[in-house]
Amino acid sequence: MAPNKEEMLDMYRKMLLIREFEETVANLFSQGQIPGFVHLYVGEEAVAVGVCSNLGDKDYIASTHRGHGHGIARGASVEKMMAEIFGKIDGYCKGKGGSMHIAAVELGFLGANGIVGAGLPLAAGAAFANKYLKNGGVAVCFFGDGASNRATFHEALNLASIWKLPVIFVCENNMYGISMSQERHQNINDIADRAVAYGIPGVSVDGNDVMAVYEAAAEAIKRARAGEGPTLIECKTYRFRGHFEGDACVYRSEEEVNEWKKKCPIQRFGTSLLEMNIASREELDAISAEVKEQIKNAVEFARKSPYPDVSELTTDVYCD
Amino acid sequence: MSVGIIANPASGKDIRRLVAHATVFDNNEKANLIRRILLGLDSLGVRRVWFMPDYFGFYQRVLDSLAGRCRLALEARLLDMKINASQDDSRRAAEMMAAAGVSCIITLGGDGTNRVVAKGAGNIPLLPVSTGTNNVFPVMVEGTVAGLAAGLLATGAVEPEEALQRTKMLVIYINGRPADIALIDAVVLADRFTGSRAVWDASKIRQIAATRGSTACIGIASVVGGLRHIGPAEPCGMHVIVGSPTGDAAVSVRAAIGPGLIKRVPVVAYHLLQPGQRIQVLESPCVIALDGERELRINAGDSAEIELSMEGPWVVDIDRTLAAAAARGVFREHRERPAGNK
Amino acid sequence: MEMTYSQAINAALREEMKRDDTVYILGEDVGIFGGCFGVTAGLIQEFGPERVLDTPISETAIVGSAVGAAAAGLRPVAEIMFMDFMTVCMDEFFNQAAKMRYMFGGKVKVPLTLRTVCGAGLGAAAQHSQSLEAWFTHMPGVKVVMPSTPADAKGLLVSSIRDDNPVIFIEHKMLYGVTGEVPEGEYTIPLGKADIKREGRDVTVVATSLMVHRALVAAETLAGEGIEVEVVDPRTLVPFDKETLLQSVEKTGRLVIVHEAVKNSGFGAEIAAIVAEEGFDFLDAPVKRVAAPFAPVPFSPPLEAAYVPSEEKIIEAIKSLF
Ligand SMILES: Cc1ncc(C[n+]2csc(CCOP(=O)(O)OP(=O)(O)O)c2C)c(N)n1
Ligand SMILES: [Mg+2]
Repeated sequence: MAPNKEEMLDMYRKMLLIREFEETVANLFSQGQIPGFVHLYVGEEAVAVGVCSNLGDKDYIASTHRGHGHGIARGASVEKMMAEIFGKIDGYCKGKGGSMHIAAVELGFLGANGIVGAGLPLAAGAAFANKYLKNGGVAVCFFGDGASNRATFHEALNLASIWKLPVIFVCENNMYGISMSQERHQNINDIADRAVAYGIPGVSVDGNDVMAVYEAAAEAIKRARAGEGPTLIECKTYRFRGHFEGDACVYRSEEEVNEWKKKCPIQRFGTSLLEMNIASREELDAISAEVKEQIKNAVEFARKSPYPDVSELTTDVYCD
Repeated sequence: MSVGIIANPASGKDIRRLVAHATVFDNNEKANLIRRILLGLDSLGVRRVWFMPDYFGFYQRVLDSLAGRCRLALEARLLDMKINASQDDSRRAAEMMAAAGVSCIITLGGDGTNRVVAKGAGNIPLLPVSTGTNNVFPVMVEGTVAGLAAGLLATGAVEPEEALQRTKMLVIYINGRPADIALIDAVVLADRFTGSRAVWDASKIRQIAATRGSTACIGIASVVGGLRHIGPAEPCGMHVIVGSPTGDAAVSVRAAIGPGLIKRVPVVAYHLLQPGQRIQVLESPCVIALDGERELRINAGDSAEIELSMEGPWVVDIDRTLAAAAARGVFREHRERPAGNK
Repeated sequence: MEMTYSQAINAALREEMKRDDTVYILGEDVGIFGGCFGVTAGLIQEFGPERVLDTPISETAIVGSAVGAAAAGLRPVAEIMFMDFMTVCMDEFFNQAAKMRYMFGGKVKVPLTLRTVCGAGLGAAAQHSQSLEAWFTHMPGVKVVMPSTPADAKGLLVSSIRDDNPVIFIEHKMLYGVTGEVPEGEYTIPLGKADIKREGRDVTVVATSLMVHRALVAAETLAGEGIEVEVVDPRTLVPFDKETLLQSVEKTGRLVIVHEAVKNSGFGAEIAAIVAEEGFDFLDAPVKRVAAPFAPVPFSPPLEAAYVPSEEKIIEAIKSLF
């Protein structure tokens, strides 16, 4: 039930990998090397990693516009992800999707999504397929606090509850939808409360504590696999960076950001691993060095990969 | 003539909704409860009520909705403090309320909330109102009634001696220094992380120290109660050494360690704890759950002890308070006959 | 007065809000954030949160509530952050706003203006770059406006807000920074009146939105080669100014239609059909359409560049008629 040392170190590594990936993307974006919009996951790593560390082969995840972390946590290759963000042919989607549509269906990663709240019914559908096929798989949907005000949230939760679908709705409550603070966009403070309306369990956990997320996800997944239906897990977290790169963040204070930076999920987990005698400083440093190398290689890979040929413009529209 | 209210906006939605069958208590319902408390207080002429600020904004929400039909005579005020949306808000708020001279602090939350408030309240009594199923310390009571009881104490209609009861607590020492307290139980777990905080995996329990034991309670106190009943006023507690699930403990206790969660807990040994008696935490590193929540991490190499203290928070006994007031005729009114009437 | 397309829209909103206090703005992040593209900047400071309403991410409720408020006497200006998100509030716009008046036997008016933004060019990929204007021209009851210059944007937005019908006002994200001369003071541009952006005798190019600018560049290039291109900007697709189109085609005898939306069932097909039905005899050559290929908008920069009709493609199409 509880993760063993190796698994915990893997969780630590994945969180660091996400952090390094995102900070590298931020840098490259500011230098004009990455086109389009990028929404980064810095600060929220514990959510994706805590949840995805519980998943198996048959399981699906559906993600959001802030999807890099979900992909990495699910085990996607950082090379192919970086190449996609660069718009290169060796990217996961041949460069056609980009940051907001990165997907690795072969890993059960049903894609980032440009439409807020779109993932919830998709995940319900993937869960339905798993249930239909009786393969024991579940589906997870990540979505934001802002997304919980979309009709899709309500419809998907209701559908999943009446059909007892093996789906886990993971709300990343980072307290803002772009400039709208949670207190301005909804009259509740714990999105988990909304589960009551659909007759399913809803829990709030500290989204910056990877073990808290892990435990809650483990229980919800157990429940889903046992045929008991969906769960809503609200993870309270915070995005350290702007909504997208280039956001001046006029809607929140520097002070608030700094308060949250003190609750950095990676630092917290690292400290626990050391204090609890699970890992040594040397082990953690070695992971950190490996991660840096991995991301350096990913950027190299992305740079070297060619752009797709213009003939790709009209391929993949239909199955042949 | 003032009363404090500390409502924990985070209580009532932890993982016990998933691992057990705990009730969900949403914040709008808590706000509702506070309204009824205020109306109770107001009816007895309490002058001032202090609120702890919180991220949900109970104060404003409650007052806004009472601005129309049910205008209050009392003055509700918000403590001037910065909040961090952490437990420590409640402790500091309790301190400030104590400094402001409140007669009692009404708390809305579970055992955990009261534990933190007790740390700041000093000798100011608590009136703990339960907002869920998973509690021992607070009581399930209708808000209006809670408001009346607090109001009787605050206005002097009932004397403290009639209304109050002193509770016990446990003091946790790390390396000889007091580090934290628990009102009901401190449970040593073979765990490394506080994680999602609740305790539901009985196989991790190594030791239990408790101020109370009753099978009528939900939580670890029911394990203790399965061995021997210990009332809230009884001058003793209990220490239980729990065996491993695969071990050969001679006794095991069936107990409701969570709502709907009845587990078998193997018991190797147990004994009563006397006031002032300290027991050693036998495992390190480990995690200690205080009043049902994994709270303290004991690092490798640190030593921890748990002591039973008779100096826990004062609590308003609602039933006794109301009975005393009724006996004194506080609720009775006689119609005065206008002069000249036959 | 010189101003950007974005400033011109902002000015129209400000002036109409001053003029008529039933006008209010609602949409995501339209308040202190000033809108995703900064178009509503400063309005909340001037008119307050009672008239500039930040909404939750609830397009259904944004448009639906605006329809209800419009029917009840207000003049909402709703913003849908990207045109692509119209898909999630289509019922409110199509089944409710568009047909309410008809269904109610003419007893209600729905003076709703829905501002939104279309177009590729920012690498925003398949769900943030589409040009879906044709869909809305297939909705009896809705007016469709697509300005290409700051002056048009301002005058047309004022008319849209004052119009008693639901109007979808489609801005282009690559035009926000484009500057142009805007008349001083209050003015309106009627809905349903095309504008000849450049006169020419040899060929008519009908272009919309950003494509007007590309057509003008193409016309300038071709002028050097002796081909005089007339660039017609319909400005509003519904109502559509047939007269200006037919007069121009009568004069030039050739027609090229340019839009950024995909060619299949794009608005170009409607224009071509109008000319086929009502101006067949004017034509000296087949009608040509320059539009996006039948594919979603790609992310990769070279693909995106190849996707959107370029000046070269317009020139090539024009030359093929001679
Ligand atoms: C249907 C829809 N409406 C609006 C948007 C524009 N948009 C993109 S992200 C975002 C905020 C999302 O907030 P939240 O769900 O809390 O996720 P976060 O960005 O905080 O991770 C908005 C409004 C969109 N992409 N899709
Ligand atoms: Mg958010």
